[in-house]
Amino acid sequence: MFVSFFYKLKDAGVPVSPTSFLRLQKALGLGLIGSLEDFYTAARTVLVKSERYFDLYDQVFAHYFKGAELPEGEGVELDEAAKLLLEEWLRDPEGVARALGAEVEDLLRLTPQQLIAYFLERLKEQTEAHHGGSKWIGTKGTSPVGHSGYHPGGMRVGGRSQGQSAVKVAMDRRYRDYSQDGPLTMGQIGEALKRLRHMVPAGPKDQVNVEKTVYETLRNAGEIEIIFDRSLKDRLKVVLLIDNGGWSMDPYVEVVQVLFNYARAQFKDLKTYFFHNTIYDYVWADPPRRRKPQKVEEFSRLDPETRLVIVGDASMAPYELMAADGSIHIEERAMKPSIDRLQFLAASFRHTVWLNPRSQMEWSYVRTIQTIRMIFPMFELSLDGLEKAVRHLIRKN
Amino acid sequence: MEVKYGEMRFSGGSKYLLDPELARIVNISMALELPLLLKGEPGTGKTMLAHAIAESLPMPLIVLNVKSSMKLVDALYQYDTLTRLNDSRFGDSKRDVSNIEEYIKMGKIGQAFSSERKVVLLIDEIDKADTDFQDDMLDVLDQMSFDIIEIDKTVRTKHRPVVVITSNAKKDLSDPFLGRCNFHHIAFPTPDFMREIIQVHFPQLEKDLSRACVETFYRLREIPGIEKKPATRELINWIRAVRCDPDFRAARLGKGEVPYLGVLFKKSNDYVVAGQHIARLRI
Repeated sequence: MFVSFFYKLKDAGVPVSPTSFLRLQKALGLGLIGSLEDFYTAARTVLVKSERYFDLYDQVFAHYFKGAELPEGEGVELDEAAKLLLEEWLRDPEGVARALGAEVEDLLRLTPQQLIAYFLERLKEQTEAHHGGSKWIGTKGTSPVGHSGYHPGGMRVGGRSQGQSAVKVAMDRRYRDYSQDGPLTMGQIGEALKRLRHMVPAGPKDQVNVEKTVYETLRNAGEIEIIFDRSLKDRLKVVLLIDNGGWSMDPYVEVVQVLFNYARAQFKDLKTYFFHNTIYDYVWADPPRRRKPQKVEEFSRLDPETRLVIVGDASMAPYELMAADGSIHIEERAMKPSIDRLQFLAASFRHTVWLNPRSQMEWSYVRTIQTIRMIFPMFELSLDGLEKAVRHLIRKN
Repeated sequence: MEVKYGEMRFSGGSKYLLDPELARIVNISMALELPLLLKGEPGTGKTMLAHAIAESLPMPLIVLNVKSSMKLVDALYQYDTLTRLNDSRFGDSKRDVSNIEEYIKMGKIGQAFSSERKVVLLIDEIDKADTDFQDDMLDVLDQMSFDIIEIDKTVRTKHRPVVVITSNAKKDLSDPFLGRCNFHHIAFPTPDFMREIIQVHFPQLEKDLSRACVETFYRLREIPGIEKKPATRELINWIRAVRCDPDFRAARLGKGEVPYLGVLFKKSNDYVVAGQHIARLRI
């Protein structure tokens, strides 16, 4: 029974095993499942082993039993864009109406649901009309419209089910926030911290552990057995450079800062600086990038063993990286292209990584990412990427 | 083995409010005789669930608090060599020195397996131990038996215990381990559900005070940059503290005054951040 449901789950990417499916059959056979609600919870608890897949399960369940549409790649993005649009609408109804070419009064008459539906419709048209172009509301990152307080960080956990029908519960998609395998969110801070905790240097095994030696020698019936421990090494110094210019980076700036601040105790020293898009003559210790400039050249005075972590999307116009006067700040006119600065930084420190919140799949489409990847080892700003980056940072050579 | 589960239905404890979804999951797991793995942030009642099952069914509860340095053998049994050495040297006890079995002490899992009645076995915070611990435990949970090497004896369960395993999701558990468990993730309670929980713990609490406290509590949880968010336990303690204070007025909450902040925020960093936010935003 429900074999096709099982395969739907498998096709959707939920790791399900035949053993657990048989277990579900057993539960069905025992007569434990009397309703669709029972089936919803039973199948989930038996088949799905991580909350990360709960959302996917919900979608497949809703699709299978209700014929709800499975998401296409675009769906989520449109949802987000519609949300932005709604927020923009709340702030500036006339502007939005003008941009959509509709009358404010017409839009005002719609109920919130209708409004969302209307926005979605319009967004779809936009996407179809000139996909990938500079739409007036960004689904691909070229938006002139502000994002008006939208903040994807933080975890909103949906309510619990109480007497709702299973399909409705499934369609609520309560576990959406858990499913993001994409960029780091506030909700994943704990997990991410665990990854950072490995960022401790390991010295050579060259110190005799007397107690263990005595113990092992006795176990060995008096035959001497010497046990060595790793010698302690000084904790790491870390310099963190964050790109906080441009709205595409906004959601990640805080996450990264909180992350490293909480990990601070395990570092000997943590310095955070900010830059816009890419690095020219200066970076700044204050987020608005105004009061506390720091000359990039002076980084050469730091201990070369300092770990340099740069966080940025590395996406910009090529001239910003290559041209000698590429900086958009008038006061930075040292006539050295940014790429020289990056190379200088890479040469100043032995261990560097670049964390990029954009998904790795997009990297090959952006020229500046490709260029910067040649200079710095680049990793995704996700749990997996962080793990790899940490492994890279504590490597000995 | 032939215990009828049909009649043994779990429907909540006296101090535990049960979500119907969770009740179904517990019942399914008991019927399938599979360990139930519970994940969720601290304070969502993972541990309390095991207590509630034991209380309502009623069965004795055996708790294994996993520690980071723990080896699985410690949880199964211990061979007390020291006492045996002492007995053989001085011979003033009634134990038979040549019989090793008398020096085997059962650990928590051992106790659960060898118990004469059906028990609830809670393996709390399994993620604290290293992966070896989980890997070793696979077979034990699968077969519901283990060997005592010293006396070459196999301990088998007389009654399969109801096994509840909790994890704080600090580490991902291994796939083979997950394969042998049923899984549920407990979400943080919604404000409405939280009010019901408060009602269970403080039946005499006035409605207004309860609402004001819960509202403030959820606003405090929203403060960005908090490492350890206050959980149900903190809320209950906080309400207890607030009720002891004769000068406390519920109306003053929401005007930038939250007394006994230390009950809610236990990390100095969080305490400072929360304090600033409350003053600025008048939470």
